[in-house]
Order: sequence, then C-alpha cells, then structure tokens
Amino acid sequence: MMIPRNLSLAAAVVTAAALALTACSGGEAPAADSSKISIMAPFLEAQPPAADGAVQQKLEELTGKDVSITWTPNASYEDKMNITLASSEIPQVMVVQSKSPGFVKNAEAGAFWDLTDKLADYPNLKTTFPDVQNNASVNGKVYGVFRARNPIRAAVMFRQDWLDKLGLAAPETTEDLYKVAKAFTEQDPDGNGQNDTWGITIPKWGALGSNSPYDIIEEWYGAGNRWTEKDGKLIPSFDTEEFLEANRFVKKMVDEKLINPDFATFDGTKWNEPFFNGKGGIIVDVDSRVSVLINLFKQANPNDFQNKVGFVGNLKGPDGELHAHPTDGYSGFLAVPKTSVRTEAELKNVLEFLNTMNGKEVATLLNNGIEGVNFTVEDGKAATIKPETAESKAVSTDIKSYAQLGTNVTGNNFYPVKQASDYEQEVFDKRVEVMAADLKSAVYNPAAAFVSPTYVAKGAQLDNIVADARIKYLAGQIDEQGLKDAIKLWKTSGGDKVQEEINKLWQDSK
Amino acid sequence: MTTSALDVKAPEQAPPPAPAPGRRRRFAVHFAHYKWLYLLLLPGVIYFAVFRYAPMYGVSIAFKDYVPFLGVNASPWVGFQHFQDFFSNPDFGRLLGNTLILAFLNLGIAFPLTIVLALLLNEVRLSILKRTVQTLVYIPHFLSWTIVASLSFLLFALDFGPLFLFLNSALGTNIDFLSDPNWFRPLIVLQEIWKNTGWGTIIFLAALATVDQDQYEAAIIDGAGRFRRVWHITLPGIRSTIIVMLILAIGQMLNTGFEQIYLMTNALNRSVADVFDTYVYFVGITQGAYSYSTAVGLFKSLVGIVLIFGTNWLAKRFNQSGLF
Repeated sequence: MMIPRNLSLAAAVVTAAALALTACSGGEAPAADSSKISIMAPFLEAQPPAADGAVQQKLEELTGKDVSITWTPNASYEDKMNITLASSEIPQVMVVQSKSPGFVKNAEAGAFWDLTDKLADYPNLKTTFPDVQNNASVNGKVYGVFRARNPIRAAVMFRQDWLDKLGLAAPETTEDLYKVAKAFTEQDPDGNGQNDTWGITIPKWGALGSNSPYDIIEEWYGAGNRWTEKDGKLIPSFDTEEFLEANRFVKKMVDEKLINPDFATFDGTKWNEPFFNGKGGIIVDVDSRVSVLINLFKQANPNDFQNKVGFVGNLKGPDGELHAHPTDGYSGFLAVPKTSVRTEAELKNVLEFLNTMNGKEVATLLNNGIEGVNFTVEDGKAATIKPETAESKAVSTDIKSYAQLGTNVTGNNFYPVKQASDYEQEVFDKRVEVMAADLKSAVYNPAAAFVSPTYVAKGAQLDNIVADARIKYLAGQIDEQGLKDAIKLWKTSGGDKVQEEINKLWQDSK
Repeated sequence: MTTSALDVKAPEQAPPPAPAPGRRRRFAVHFAHYKWLYLLLLPGVIYFAVFRYAPMYGVSIAFKDYVPFLGVNASPWVGFQHFQDFFSNPDFGRLLGNTLILAFLNLGIAFPLTIVLALLLNEVRLSILKRTVQTLVYIPHFLSWTIVASLSFLLFALDFGPLFLFLNSALGTNIDFLSDPNWFRPLIVLQEIWKNTGWGTIIFLAALATVDQDQYEAAIIDGAGRFRRVWHITLPGIRSTIIVMLILAIGQMLNTGFEQIYLMTNALNRSVADVFDTYVYFVGITQGAYSYSTAVGLFKSLVGIVLIFGTNWLAKRFNQSGLF
C-alpha cells in the first residue's frame, strides 16, 4: 500500500491545526458594553425559550438592551453555576437558586457585588419585604435581588371523589390525615373491589429543609423550621422531641402501608401519576400543584373534572396548635458577579436594567406574556386568549421560563391570571384565602439569614447524615435509637460547631 | 519520490544514511530522514500536552484554598490541609471500603467472566453462530448507564417489576432489591457483567486467534480432551494478553463508574453506595468545594498509580512480561 507523501503531510498538518484551534478558543470576556446584558438562568420546561422568540424581542424592546440569556436546565443548575463561576465566561446577572456553600464561599471572597446599601436607590428594587431580603442575605449582606415567593405554600391535596364516596370530612389535624389515609388504603375508595390503593404518595426527596412532606409534617408537629428556639438557644429542628414524634407518626403510616411502599426511590417527577391514576389519594406539597392536578383531570375528561381534587392548607398538630410551614419567602436571587461587572458605573447600568425588569411593563411581560397575543385583561385579570394559536402558545410556554427572571420584591407588578373556568377560579380564590389564613400561624426559620463557616465547609455532608437516617428509620432499616445516634453523629462530626456559630450570629444580630 | 508504507511500519529496516560524527549531527541526519514521521507524531504530542498535561496545573488547587473568583494563582496555599481533613473524616473509611469492595468484585467476577466467555465463544465451531452470539453479547456495551439503570428500575420495581416478583416468589421473601443495601453490590456487578462482558471478549478473541493451531492437532493426537486443550494450550497462549489486560484493569480499578453508581444510589443504600467518584461529584461540583474534592481525586489517582506499578512489578517477578 502506497501513501502519497503530500496526502500524509496534509493529514498531519490539518490534525495539528485543528487541535491547536480547539485549544486556543475560549479567550477573554468581551469588554463592557452598556447596551448589552448577559444573564444565566434556569428553565423548568422541556425546552428553553428560543433566542429569537417573541418574548425575547419584546424584552429587548422594553429594556432597550441587547439581552443574551444562557438558559440552563433546572436539574443541573447548581452544578453549572459552580462551574461557570470557575470559568472565564461569567454573565453579568446570575440567578442563584440558594445560599449553597459554593455561592457563599465565592460571595465572601468578593465574587459578587454587595448590594446592601445600593438597592434602596432603585424604586422597583427597594423591597417592601425587608425581612425576606434579610433571609436571603448572607449574615446581613445582600448579594442579590431576591425572587419573592408566597411564604405559605404548603397544602394537603386529596381525591375529593374518594373522600365523598367514603363520607369523610376534609382533614384538619394530623390525626385526621392519618384517618383519611387509612380509609383511602383500606376501604376501597375507588370501588373496584380490590385492595390496590394507598393513602399518601411521597417522593424520594429526603434532603433536610427541602420543603419535602417530611419537613412539612415535622413542622406541623411543632419541631420548627430547620432551626428552633429552645431555652434561649437555637437548636436544629431535628434535635427536638417533636421531630421524633412526627417521624413516629410517619413511620406508623409507612408500617400500615398508608404510604407508597417505594417512597425512598419514587421519582418526584411522577408525583401526580398515582393520584391521577387512582393509586394514591393524598399529596402533601405546595398548593400550586392543585391546579396542575385539576388540569390533568380536565385534559382526560373536560366534562367531568370538577370535584376530583380537594385541598386544605396546613394541618393542626397533636398539640392542637397550627404551626404552618412557610418557605423563607424567596427562591434564590439575582446576583451580579464582579468579574463581569467591574466598575460602579457598570454596576449602576446592571441595576438600572434590573429595576426596569421589575417595573410594571416588563414584569407583565415576564409573567403574563404579551397583551393581545396570548392574553387580554378582563376585570384586572389576565385571561388567556382562546383559541390558542401557535404564536400565543409559544409565548405562553416561554414565559414559564422568563418568569424565573422576575424578582417582584415590591409585590406582584403583573396581572393575576384569570382561571379558565368558574370552577377553577373558585378553587384559585380559595387557595389564596387558605394561604392568607395560614400566614398568621407561620413558623419561620429563625436562622434563615445566618451562614456559619463550618456549615459552608461541611454542612451539606452533615445534613445528609440525618436526612438519610430519617429515611432509613421510616423504611425500618434502623430503629429510633439508630435515628438518635445519627443525630448525635451530626453533632460530634461538626454539628456542634455549626450550632455554636449560628447561635453567635443570632445573638449578634439582636 | 514516495515513501513506502513499509517504512512507516518498520523504520529500523531502513537505517539512516552513513552516521556522521557527533551526537547532534547524528540526530539532525536522523531527524531529516524521518521528518514526516515526526510530523505525524506531532498531533499526538500536542493532544497529550494540551489536554492531558496542561490541566495538571489545576491539580495545584488540592494544596490551596481555591476560590474561583480569586483564580488558581491568587488562592492561598494551605499545604496538606485538605488531605488531612479527608483522612480524618468519618466518610474516609466508608468511601475507601466501598470503593475497594466494588473494585475487587468487578475485578474478581466481571474480569474472569470476559475470559471465560471468550473461551466459550472460541470453542463454537459454527462460524455463523459464533459471530451472531459475539455481536449479540457486545450490543449492551453501547447502551448508556442511564438506560441500564432505567431497565433495572423497571425490572426490579416494587410490586410490579417482573424480576422483583419472580425472585421474591422463588426466594419466598419480600426484598426491595433497589433500596436494600445488601443487594446494591450484586446489582452493580450484574449490571457491569450484562453491559460489558461481551465487549471485553473482543481483545481475548483476537488473542485466541493467534494461538498456534498445530499445537491443538498435536494435543488431539496425544489424546487431550477439550478441557485439557483449553487448560494447557489456549490459556498459556493468551497468558500475556491476560496479564496486560489485568494490569490495565487494576489501573482503572478505582474508577468505579460514576454514572452507574450515581444512578443506582438512594437514601437507603447510600451507606454502601458512596464511592470516591460520587463523593467527588457531590462535594466538589454540587457544593463548590473544589480544593477538597481535588485532593480526594488526587489521592484516588495516586492509589491507582501505586496499584499499576505494583501489579507490573509482581507480573515481572513471576517471569511474565509486564506492561512496561
């Protein structure tokens, strides 16, 4: 076999050149240009919005900026954010989803602008919820414009048709919850003559403080919200007698098969399926799932979907009191990295942009869409235009991602969504009412604003000890002593230090 | 003038023209003669320099308190702090144990199985059958771990998975294979066998093809049965291949397959599932503790190097040709 010399030479040169080129790409971040804004944000839909979509164009028109958004899947957002921070291509605005150890470490090293004294200069960024802004801070230092959320979102959703069939009342206390779950399991609520239903469906979320059903039930029992005050000291909520009681209660339900048997491995994205398919009749989660569930029944049968889904808010604990479970009132924040925004003047430019983003016009765009394309305003509410066109559908889908950029730190500056039918509107109004009523009994996390250095170093691994032990205890792999041992291990492996530091920060803040 | 392919394959057959005095001079002549071969070498050298050696600069963050904002250079040195933290961490023993157990299970079960399968395939005389079986057994290699994990979840799903139902009725038990810590390792090894055994046979089949056929004929005349022929001819014939593959497998031993284990881990089996790879991901990427996880990864690499040199040394001691 003969190879012409020139050919082998050409092949070698081309390969070498290609390698050299790939090695040299990357390069410097572009110089600051005040007409351009780059953002990194998560998307929760199947697809990110198109870069040339109608919402994007309207956004650029309203803000007068050339906005480029790097959409990143929500599931891997935290990883991508940490990696981006370590790279040379850092956006000017970053959605930060939580005060994770990685974020705090960077922030304390000066990676993000400290906005504590700056936000007050911007009318749409000067928050009307200073407590929430403090919750979102790192020991009082505000590193971002928080994304406001309704603090009370916990609800118990159940199959209303099952409840009616068995002649039961909606649960009000945790004891009622047990009774309903037991009836849903044992009294054949779907009437098919088979023992093929269970009460509550719980997914595999087990992390502490992830607003999982476990966290919610523990709070109802009075264990507190991550941290709780006892004898003038803050202690982790899992170090309380109420925590153990709550888990005994959940374990009893697991043992009596009132909870889906695969709760430790059940995928959270399939949470609605057993409910809809008539397998498991109760879900404890955020109240917005009510409309998702109603929609499932509506799509299956538009003529008979009412009264399938019932719900109540938080439940009273065994002490007869209502300890409602709130979130910290925010879902991450928009931070401004110093690497890409180098001077005060550039920062001003970015903050002005964020100020415009939270103004009425842009907030409406981000949350409702484009008036006349996908919605019209009816009695102060945004009503979806029917029938939907390809264009209006695209806008409606895109805004689910763009809403991730909304901060609403001065309250909602957009239209409430008009529900599709009177029944759905009624349910929606009831949701608002129930959540407002529970707000009075909300038990907040007293340490939300505090970040202890030890926790930054190894908090997540520490929390895992307790979170895993909780699931093992419920599954019967360890007994209550084993759970207590895990809590002791948390303390001796560095938890004591975390507690000490949190208490010091708490005392100092008083 | 053209260069023949023969030159490329065996350059020693065409020695450089009359050696000139002086080392440098000799090299220059040598280089001039083989310049196109050196050019062909270049892409490989550049590849390793850029993608394998340049990133090693980043390993220095294992000895620093790395903060991405400050960059690698500006982050302060902390010496062996991260290594000390790691070795004194209660996780260390568990991670090392889990990693080694899984590694030895894979090495002790999955690796010999590839040889056994190759030997079995080699005994199949009907060539169409042999080729068909061979193709069928290495197809699973091309499926991603995500698919393998999904299949496992379906097959072993609580209350309706066919394997769950079958095994539990056969054993008369009620085991949730997916979350029972005792079943985690068997499951991992089974997955590994299902996915990679067929693929692993390829090299051994190639080695088997080189075994001298005359020896078999001689053995048959001497009255050796099939098993004797395999034992005394086939296995010794591929011994050096087995040793080389073993050394390579031991070098890879601590790479327990991040994806596979990550996908099969849950809160109930984590105590046996956590290995170095998943730990580095969990601590390093999701929590942003780059320095600490780099230290862990570096430790893992060091153990890998020690294992490779150790096995190589052992192989040579027993008069086998080592890898180097």
